[in-house]
Amino acid sequence: MINDPNQEPLSDTFEANREGDDLNVRHMHEAILREKDDPRDGYEPIPLWLVSLFMALVFWGGAYLAFNSGGFQADVFNPSQVSWAGGGGGPKAPPDPLVVGKRLYTANCVACHQVTGQGVAGQFPPLAGSDWVVGGDWHGDNHLVNILLHGLQGPVQVMGGTYNGAMPAWKQMKDNQIAMILTYIRNEWGNEATPITAEQVAQMREENLDRREPWTQAQLQAIPAKTLNESVGSELPPSEDGELMDGNEPPDAAVVEAEGSQA
Amino acid sequence: MSATITMEPTSTVALPDVDKSLRAEIDASTRLPVVLFYGSAIFWLLVGTGFAMLASFKMNDPAFLDQWGWLTFGRVRPAHLNAVAYGWASSAGIGTSLWLMARLCRTPLRHAKLLVSAAVFWNIGVLLGIYGILAGDGRSIEWLEFPNYASAILFVSFGLIAVWAVVMFRFRQPGHIYVSQWYLLAAIIWFPWLYSTANLLLNFESIQGGAQGAVNWWYGHNALGLWFTPIGLATAYYLIPKVLGRPIHSYYLSILGFWTLAIFYSWNGMHHLIGGPFPAWMVTASVVASMMMFIPVITTAINHHMTVRGNFGALKWSPTLRFTVFGAMCYTLASVQGSLMAIPTLNSVTHFTHYTVGHSHLGLYAFFTMIMYGAMYYILPRVVGWEWPSARLIRWHFWLVAIGIVLMVVVLSIGGILQGLALLDPEITFMATLDYTKPWLFLRSGSGILLTAGHIVFALSFVLLLLKVGSPKVQPTLFASQGEDKPEPLSL
Amino acid sequence: MNRMSVIIAGIFITFFCSWIGLVAYPYLALGRYLPFVDEDTGDILPPPLSGLAERGQQVYASSGCIYCHSQQVRQIGYGSDLERGWGARPTVARDYMRERPAFLGTMRTGPDLSNIGARQPSVMWHHQHLYQPAVVSPGSIMPSYRYLYQTQKIEGQMAANAINLLPPSAPPEGYEVVPTYDAEALVAYLISLNRNYPLPESPEP
Repeated sequence: MINDPNQEPLSDTFEANREGDDLNVRHMHEAILREKDDPRDGYEPIPLWLVSLFMALVFWGGAYLAFNSGGFQADVFNPSQVSWAGGGGGPKAPPDPLVVGKRLYTANCVACHQVTGQGVAGQFPPLAGSDWVVGGDWHGDNHLVNILLHGLQGPVQVMGGTYNGAMPAWKQMKDNQIAMILTYIRNEWGNEATPITAEQVAQMREENLDRREPWTQAQLQAIPAKTLNESVGSELPPSEDGELMDGNEPPDAAVVEAEGSQA
Repeated sequence: MSATITMEPTSTVALPDVDKSLRAEIDASTRLPVVLFYGSAIFWLLVGTGFAMLASFKMNDPAFLDQWGWLTFGRVRPAHLNAVAYGWASSAGIGTSLWLMARLCRTPLRHAKLLVSAAVFWNIGVLLGIYGILAGDGRSIEWLEFPNYASAILFVSFGLIAVWAVVMFRFRQPGHIYVSQWYLLAAIIWFPWLYSTANLLLNFESIQGGAQGAVNWWYGHNALGLWFTPIGLATAYYLIPKVLGRPIHSYYLSILGFWTLAIFYSWNGMHHLIGGPFPAWMVTASVVASMMMFIPVITTAINHHMTVRGNFGALKWSPTLRFTVFGAMCYTLASVQGSLMAIPTLNSVTHFTHYTVGHSHLGLYAFFTMIMYGAMYYILPRVVGWEWPSARLIRWHFWLVAIGIVLMVVVLSIGGILQGLALLDPEITFMATLDYTKPWLFLRSGSGILLTAGHIVFALSFVLLLLKVGSPKVQPTLFASQGEDKPEPLSL
Repeated sequence: MNRMSVIIAGIFITFFCSWIGLVAYPYLALGRYLPFVDEDTGDILPPPLSGLAERGQQVYASSGCIYCHSQQVRQIGYGSDLERGWGARPTVARDYMRERPAFLGTMRTGPDLSNIGARQPSVMWHHQHLYQPAVVSPGSIMPSYRYLYQTQKIEGQMAANAINLLPPSAPPEGYEVVPTYDAEALVAYLISLNRNYPLPESPEP
């Protein structure tokens, strides 16, 4: 159907041939006959206000780009930063346990114990004002560290309420991380207690190296309370048989790596 | 020099008056490829709409049809996007571009077989891609979810189209290159570059994750701005002056609009990632580029508006014009909205919310799809040789989709802003932010029902046209008969 | 503009500029990271994924999780991500260097998952949540992914990885629900999502 474009146009003979045309071709030609010319351009000038707007936008754009590009560096990610005054050199200050402990708590513990340290009724015990955290009654610092290391199972009595969630073990965290979290919770929400150090955590970890299951309240109560400024005693109840249970599975290697990084 | 607004152009370059029979030849030569692409487009429109309704209902009731993995929301939603973007919008765009290029190059379409093969490959590619997504092979890279076996086929198809386009331009009649041709040429060059680069870097041999977001959204935004937008604008630049018989207001504005679009649009991509893990200067550059987009958008709006000015009455009768002008106005609206959304303060509210979804529908539907409807109402009678059988179906189509899309954009925008403001307040729990959105998502399903009905009406209209139902007509099918007070016969 | 060469040259040049800025440059600057090695601890950051978690990435992609969940903790001043506890620090490009693809996401119909492994480290919770999200998180519109699980008759003892379910999704008497390999993989991936390790380019706020 594609005609040679060099052929003479058909217009001269068009009218003569119209009579015998196929109905469809005629009607298609109706549409074409009534069509207007192909679009053409007018030549109105560009309005001055548009040019001004363009210039103004270019000026704004340039200034915005200059001030919000972080010096065009590849490692500056916040556009509000003028440039990164990097902190590579010099000895690193030891991390502040209250700051880093809070960060670790927010990242790992709030799902259950909540930002307010209030826990969830019936499931996750509160930490605010709790003897389990600051010590008192039968509770010692060693119990607290043990809970973080190995977790807790079964019903527990906290501040007059019963809670039956399952706390997973956090032994995959480094000693100093556990220490900072505990220091933080012992000094937040009105709590006041001595800090816990990484060495103390390491010692408790060493003493219960074989433990596989989370503690029950009864098992913890069987251990004499110790504030960990004193050296911890050597005799502890034998650990349970090595059966693995839910919530205490060996963590993913990736999680271990990630958790192990220091501030 | 202040803008003098005259009704008559100060000077015109007269195109050589195309012989009417040459036009008939051109139309006849485009028949098979155009009908193939349009038919495919309408098929995928229905399919894509089906997926859209599924996705929308699943957000209202997550238990809806949730027993099957192949229909899970996370697959139905990308199936919808790809079906409407590559199935409907691209096919409609290609069909329109073919006809426009043939007409504007003033030479009958050559090598139709290339295009027929391209159409077949395109459909196979989309079909395989949708199947792949539902089967679980979707890549979860937005706008590039098709598995490699499908995107490769699409690329082959597009290669055929690009080759055809180059040949057409090569054999065009010498003379003035009209603005629509600039846009079409640009789209034909930009899209395969975009598609191949993005697929090579993200799918075939993927680069490190840190760089992927940039390439992903360089592609995603440019698919909108350098593929769909030029085709939509080219169509509007052709149909508006053509139907009205008036010249485009200003050639200089056309030039300004085209080049500022080319320069600025392609840098917008990172505005999808404001606040994200990318160097600050990249995000800032995109914010600046997004704001600079005011220039081409306002330019085009002036051009179109001043061309139509004084003739808005024609919108009462002409389906082509009504759909096209609706679309052109929504282009301005969507682009201005987009520029504002790139401002970081506003972005921190709208990012990650349904507002963005509303915006994307304002762009791809209210702008691009409405213009495609306008094009189809103009082109199909010419290539098929039959006027649209039913004015009533056209009326229903217009009102259903117009009300549907306006409703959709409005409810998603409101819901999105409420959601965004709630997300910004850390005191409001995440679950509570969801509650803000739920009623608006129900309304969105309602708007979807209107759109679905409109699409079914349109598909019916199309089928009746192809079957040449009814008696042959001499006058075009308009929204309403023009009656005694018609100013002059509209050429439609 | 009546010369094709001018138009085509312009089309190429304008596009080439953005290709340089948004494709080539990111590849060079963000696409060739080496992991950061912490001097004190010897940790490799970001840590490599286990094989199961890598399979889980594919399941994440195949299930389309990104259409509701993002994985980016935004910069300070660009949202309240940090205040919501979604991360200890904003995420940066290097955090995603091992991801193929990087699941940055653009919707928050569900919460951000960059650090979900830190917020919800329990495997059982994830299985329960995937199986019956509306029961575990009331008000959630997340669909159930129970097609990733099998209900099977209990033979003798319950399977070690059977999941505990509450009504109304609990299996009938004598049956248990067991995750398929893909479900285990997906959960392994989710548990691995923890970007709270420090990187020099993203200091703690």
